[in-house]
Amino acid sequence: MSANVCEMIAEQINTGILVLDLELTIVEWNRYLQVHANKHSNEVLGQSVFTVFPELPRRWFERKLASVIQLNTPNFCSWEQRHHLFELPHTRPISTDSHFMAQNCTFLPIEKQGKLTHICILIEDATDVCHYQSKLNSALEQLAKANKIDGLTQVFNRKHWEECLAKEFGRARRYQHELALIMFDLDRFKLLNDSYGHQCGDLVLIETANITKSLLRICDQFGRYGGEEFAVILPETDLDGALDVAERIRETLEHSVIKFQGEDIRFSTSVGVATLSADNQRYEDLISSADKALYDAKSTGRNKVCAARQELKLLVN
Amino acid sequence: MSSSVLICDDSNLARKQVLRSLPESLSSTAQLATNGEEALELLSQQNFDLLFLDLTMPVVDGIGVLEGIKAAELSVNVFVISADVQPEMQSKVMQLGAKAFLRKPVQKELLHHHLNEYGLL
Amino acid sequence: MNQLILTADQQDCLQELINVAMGQASDQLARYLDTFVHLKVPSIEQVSSEHLSQSLHQEEQAVAVVSQGFFGYEGIRGEALLVYQPKDSDRLADLLGYEPDELSVEEQIIDLSSILTTTFLNVFASQIDNQMSYSAPRLLASSQSSISEHIEQQQFTWDAALKVKITYQVTDYSFNCDMILLIPSAAIINITTVIDRILEAF
Repeated sequence: MSANVCEMIAEQINTGILVLDLELTIVEWNRYLQVHANKHSNEVLGQSVFTVFPELPRRWFERKLASVIQLNTPNFCSWEQRHHLFELPHTRPISTDSHFMAQNCTFLPIEKQGKLTHICILIEDATDVCHYQSKLNSALEQLAKANKIDGLTQVFNRKHWEECLAKEFGRARRYQHELALIMFDLDRFKLLNDSYGHQCGDLVLIETANITKSLLRICDQFGRYGGEEFAVILPETDLDGALDVAERIRETLEHSVIKFQGEDIRFSTSVGVATLSADNQRYEDLISSADKALYDAKSTGRNKVCAARQELKLLVN
Repeated sequence: MSSSVLICDDSNLARKQVLRSLPESLSSTAQLATNGEEALELLSQQNFDLLFLDLTMPVVDGIGVLEGIKAAELSVNVFVISADVQPEMQSKVMQLGAKAFLRKPVQKELLHHHLNEYGLL
Repeated sequence: MNQLILTADQQDCLQELINVAMGQASDQLARYLDTFVHLKVPSIEQVSSEHLSQSLHQEEQAVAVVSQGFFGYEGIRGEALLVYQPKDSDRLADLLGYEPDELSVEEQIIDLSSILTTTFLNVFASQIDNQMSYSAPRLLASSQSSISEHIEQQQFTWDAALKVKITYQVTDYSFNCDMILLIPSAAIINITTVIDRILEAF
């Protein structure tokens, strides 16, 4: 390409071009950079790059350029690691939250007759990419969250709760720590739905989740197991501790009054408790122990807490 | 009288590069070794004036050969031709008795300069 | 699948070109990093795309993978993957001559990768009278399966790869990483053409 054509392109391209000598003095820059930096060439050319752009991280910048000069290889700086180097305005001032143009910078060694004489810095506007990437990231975050949370009650959904249990189960067995499981079910929920309608049932489920959450520790993992059944993982908790928590949940829910269309709704729960024992080979065994205890609570009158039977035997002993 | 030459390098290309850089008088009788062990064996069987030695090789590397030569008190001139050109490596091989250190790929002019220096041309 | 086999002579020539490139790149690196870099003979392996995932199985522990594209004259192009193991990433800032708070670990890894890739390929290119350009290095998601995922996404663009396992050992820092060059089969043919030209000259 002829020098004339190169010059014309450099003046019209939508990329900032900055040429430094080896003392890091600015010797050339193109129109794009002039208009974005909003400075006159006569106050820029011949000046140190740090005078014209005082925002540059000086030590980092010098080390970066040292690699270009010493190794005679290009180097790069991406907006993903460093949002921008030069404080330049961008062309999406309204739809982005950053003040400055996100940048991809390329540092190129410039040789004359086999000798490195200058460094060329190319500055590309990555604001659009940055903007869409952050939108994508927050969408992905929301998706990941939606994947774990039950839409109605905002507690863990069954799939995620089981994954948590599998992890806690593995950890407890490996380190021989205690682990307890509470499963509880709203009594006569179908009757509630039939008499007051599903909106009322939904409200009771939401309130049950909120009330139970307020009774748990941060490390406890609480999920909706299905329909009107909930489950709590209690790490580092023995049977007595778990029975305490279970009883508190049962009692608090029993005394809760939920207002629905001017009516006071009362309800009760049946609770099953199980703890990790040597014959629990899989986490599913623990679930079925707690489930059996829950069935015991249901079949012996409801609104009560039952421990898994093998544990009861131990208690008797 | 022509000098006898041994070229030791695991790379066929590198051996050829050295061969091609040598004057006819040396290259026509040059012998080849593909690793340090082979070189030490040849060195123990016959007298060589000059050994071109690579450093990074399987079985016995260049450093091993230099140590072997020292231990057996052989009188061969060793020119190391190496891809590893860090100053630490250069001083190490010179300390072990190498006469010259040449970087790969070998430059004919530089090689001849060193040959002249030791009157081997 | 295009299973490309280099002849023994071609393989030898390529190995020597890579040895020399490694040597000079390490020398430059040692000066830049102000430490001695210990070299091992790099292993070169041709891997078909189906087998690459398998052969990378041991790299699955990798904490970070940085990808950087390269392209030169005569249709020589490809992608360099720098693979870091968990123990390697500790003191990179120190090694690179930055203050630890000046840059994130991600940036350190990208910076080092770019230096390793470009110094090595620049010397390699100059030996075959070529010149390389590079795309910006990119950190691949640092999840455990990232390499195989990345390779699988790339399946359609290359058929065979040259796996050059380079071990950079740095005194004082005991750090090493692997460089894997993925080269599309068309580019491998172009490389063998260049190699044949070198071999003919001897």
